[in-house]
Amino acid sequence: MRERFASHFDPFVIPFLVGMAFVLGYCLIAMIRVILQLPKEDRRRFLVSLITPKQIWINVRDIFLNCLIHVKLWQRNKMLGFMHSSIAFGWFMIILLGHLEVILFVPERIHLFYYPIFFNYFVAETEQTIQGSMLMFLMDFFLLMILSGIAIAIIKRFASRIVGMRRTTRLSLLDRVGLYSLWAIFPLRLLAESFTAHISGGSFLTIPANWIFRQFLGNDLYALPTWWAYSIALGVFMCVLPFTRYMHIPAEMLLIPMRNAGIRIRHPRKGFASLEVYSCPACGVCIDACPMSVLKVNCKDTTVYLNRQLRRGNERRIAEISDKCLLCGKCTAVCPVGVQGPELREAQRARRKYALSPSYAGINVRPMASAVAGGAGGASGGVLYFAGCMTQLTPSIRRATASLLDKAGVRWQMMDPDGGLCCGRPLMMAGRTEQARELIAKNLEIIRASGCDTLLLSCPICYKVFKEDYPLSDIRVVHHSVFFQELIASGQLKVRREEGHKLVWHDPCELGRGCGVYEEPRAALAAAGELVEAGKHHAESICCGGSLGSLSLGFEQRKAMTRNALDNLTVADPAEIVTGCPLCLATFVRAADRPVRDIAEILDTRS
Amino acid sequence: MVNRTPVIAVIGAGIAGLEAARQLSGLGYEPVLIEKAPAVGGHVAEWNRLFPDMAPAADLLQSLEAGTSGIRTHVDTEIASLGRLKDGYSLILSNGETLLCDAVLFATGFHLFDASRKEEYGYGIYDRVITNRDLEQWFNTRHDPRVGKPKAVGFVHCVGSRDVKAGNKQCSKVCCITAIKEAIEIKEEFPDAEVYCFYMDLRLFGKKYEDFYIRAQRDLGIHFIRGRVSEVGEAIDGRVVVKAEDTLSGKPVKVTLDLLVLMAGIVCNPDAQHYARELGVAVDEDGFLKSRDNLGAVIESSRPGVFFAGACTGAKTVPETLAEARSAALAIHQYFNKRR
Amino acid sequence: MMDFGFKLSPSSAVNLDTVDRARYDRLVQLVPDARTCIDCGSCSATCTAAPWSGMSVRKVLLGLQRGRDDEVDAMLSKCMLCGKCTMVCPRGINTRQLILTLCRLDRKGEVVR
Repeated sequence: MRERFASHFDPFVIPFLVGMAFVLGYCLIAMIRVILQLPKEDRRRFLVSLITPKQIWINVRDIFLNCLIHVKLWQRNKMLGFMHSSIAFGWFMIILLGHLEVILFVPERIHLFYYPIFFNYFVAETEQTIQGSMLMFLMDFFLLMILSGIAIAIIKRFASRIVGMRRTTRLSLLDRVGLYSLWAIFPLRLLAESFTAHISGGSFLTIPANWIFRQFLGNDLYALPTWWAYSIALGVFMCVLPFTRYMHIPAEMLLIPMRNAGIRIRHPRKGFASLEVYSCPACGVCIDACPMSVLKVNCKDTTVYLNRQLRRGNERRIAEISDKCLLCGKCTAVCPVGVQGPELREAQRARRKYALSPSYAGINVRPMASAVAGGAGGASGGVLYFAGCMTQLTPSIRRATASLLDKAGVRWQMMDPDGGLCCGRPLMMAGRTEQARELIAKNLEIIRASGCDTLLLSCPICYKVFKEDYPLSDIRVVHHSVFFQELIASGQLKVRREEGHKLVWHDPCELGRGCGVYEEPRAALAAAGELVEAGKHHAESICCGGSLGSLSLGFEQRKAMTRNALDNLTVADPAEIVTGCPLCLATFVRAADRPVRDIAEILDTRS
Repeated sequence: MVNRTPVIAVIGAGIAGLEAARQLSGLGYEPVLIEKAPAVGGHVAEWNRLFPDMAPAADLLQSLEAGTSGIRTHVDTEIASLGRLKDGYSLILSNGETLLCDAVLFATGFHLFDASRKEEYGYGIYDRVITNRDLEQWFNTRHDPRVGKPKAVGFVHCVGSRDVKAGNKQCSKVCCITAIKEAIEIKEEFPDAEVYCFYMDLRLFGKKYEDFYIRAQRDLGIHFIRGRVSEVGEAIDGRVVVKAEDTLSGKPVKVTLDLLVLMAGIVCNPDAQHYARELGVAVDEDGFLKSRDNLGAVIESSRPGVFFAGACTGAKTVPETLAEARSAALAIHQYFNKRR
Repeated sequence: MMDFGFKLSPSSAVNLDTVDRARYDRLVQLVPDARTCIDCGSCSATCTAAPWSGMSVRKVLLGLQRGRDDEVDAMLSKCMLCGKCTMVCPRGINTRQLILTLCRLDRKGEVVR
């Protein structure tokens, strides 16, 4: 083992050093900016989380699993998972092993940034020792791993269907520069290391390559230019990185601890929102997942394009994309980084200016409050059932729910027997948070007056807002599917099972992805019939197309989405489609080729 | 052309099919009636009395059936498949028989809109909500616990028609007059009942229709409210509460009723679409069969030898359907004359 | 001027010659389906906010075309965007988009920024 150059330097490292300095400087400034943009209490919370031991462990684990191993991608698509983790983890290991080599063999050079990267150029013959040959072997091994990942990446770019993606993103010019330089880095490294392998040593990959090259090249003249090219590829990649989708690599490392600290989007463009935007790897998984993508015209309105437009500052497109979305949350569920597409859009909507803003301050809810105060719920607890606006258009749900409550002997009363106020969730979805707060205050007055201890909802849209945005810590807020499942489990409600009667459960967006309720309705349905699953279900269920989330989608476009969702639901040929949302129900009923019913109806007919 | 008598498959033995078969047989052809239901007569067989003369539907059917008594008729029979031959068509029937014919006449009629698809009206949920067909059957049989002795009755026009949400943007044409006819009959049956008609527009285009309207207003005091019912609730006593806007006064109205009749609209027959596709016959964007042209050749399809009669091309009244059946028979006659 | 013994109240008569329809014109430009309303009244009857402000999308559209801007604004002031009107509209008008768009227009029909 010897160092080849007394100067420990060669000009070819300059492109690498320039790129490195630039990207480190850029990321540092960007990170400080993002942290400074956080609201004060968020910033404090984040910084405290960074020095909490338990949180540090969680952060390190999450960064390792997500940024290097890409576990979420593995779960979705093995091929994509392998591609990403082989590049990320392999690259990480090469950098790590490079440093290890420097520390082991030339520890006095550790201050030279470029030494671990170009180790084989500057230091020769490490393979002679066991340590050296082991390291050489590992270096070649991980290089091979990366190269296999790159090979899949190249295939994916030209034939995305092979790796199981129907559509991928269209790249911008800089993204292309970044992509091609990234593709170039590792083959160039292989070449460079191969050219010098007879001097510096190598392993199973580089030594045979060296032998082959020497058979027909016969001299070392190609070595230095290849190291130059390798350095230039690295330099170019790092210089364009901040302006390409590869910014997601450093951004995600900040995003993960911030999300773990419980930071949420507070500003449409600054702080956490900008971090989310930059964390988007533009992989395009959300394009295939988006329910709007059944119509090709909507493909460019998916979250990946929102992030791109937010980076570009194209206000017209940002508004268009933000308004169209159904806010079903499927993009977040499938996103390998977990970019919150719906929340980002809601924040954009909230930014909008209005000439006219409604106010509900003048609404007198005292008559409604006093009506429930004297009701069966009474002052000493009981169930208050809020049907909500949509349920008035689906009387079957209201009727079945009431009937089940009576059968189970529950003491209950209705909050809105003659219609009430809206829960506020539709306003929140439209970005009118302040107005929603006013409605929340009004509804609270009624709920408090009832003296109930449980608030029962048959509409997931209401359920989500009551659960998340109403200060009701002392009152249990529960969706009827969960409530009835408990009654069945406790034996208060007897349900007859009809063997062979296939039922499929449609996870409403707001209930499943929105509130994490997946298993209770399934358990309840399994008690009434034979539960079958849709093609895509649980977190990946497909929005019915009726969502209030979208502000601009017209009826005709929604119809196509409804049909697509129904096709997905009927793969196992169920006798009935069951859901737990009045909006899904009303949307499906119009287009379905078989009965669509609310879970309460199913349970009511079998009890 | 062979010398044997040309055979014409008439799909559907409603009034269009029966009348066309009678005419074809009179012209010397051999029509074969194929009917899915156990009996002939189609929708008219389910009706009680017909506007504008309040003639019993049974009388009309009786005369049509008398005219087709000698004609080969397959009831309770579906068509398993249809195929095109060199100059004719072959139909494989669900009874196993294969029918070779020289022309096909679609008299497949329509479907009544499934009112339970309009969740907000509560058909199938509330005991007091019935459809126009249910009411006609009550007139026929006097058996329907839902009808009872109502003191307040409402009619909802345009249920599933003129409604893009229900997938039918077209007007069903006959429901306005049917609603008024049934309102009159209900009022005659229960003179003390208050009767309300909730309409979007009253389209009373036919002969004597306006007379019905005048009679309903002047002689019977039926209330006409211009507003589409948006939702139906239930009162504690089980009666239904109807909410609409009285758009003429611009005020919301609410009324409690003992009986609500939904005027289910006329929508396309999916079987007809299926058959049409098998034969390569065009289907219109509204789901009804597409005429060669909507002015001079309503009864002709896009394919020679395939003809239409009645509501398979769109909503029709009884006299219109009968007239179309006759002209279809004549068109088929000309078709064979030309080929001869 | 001849005295008929009664006068048309200036506030209740609509003079289509002088009505300023800028807001309506801009609205139908942004939400073309707004033109397809058939005044069936489904939206009014189902409206959650109707008890508080007489809200009715139908009347809002009519009011805009008849120059009754104050009435329109008063009706809109209690809309909760619950979406029931969108659900029941037989013409499939996206009434929520209509309302949100309208709220962004000033009296001259300009989108506020």
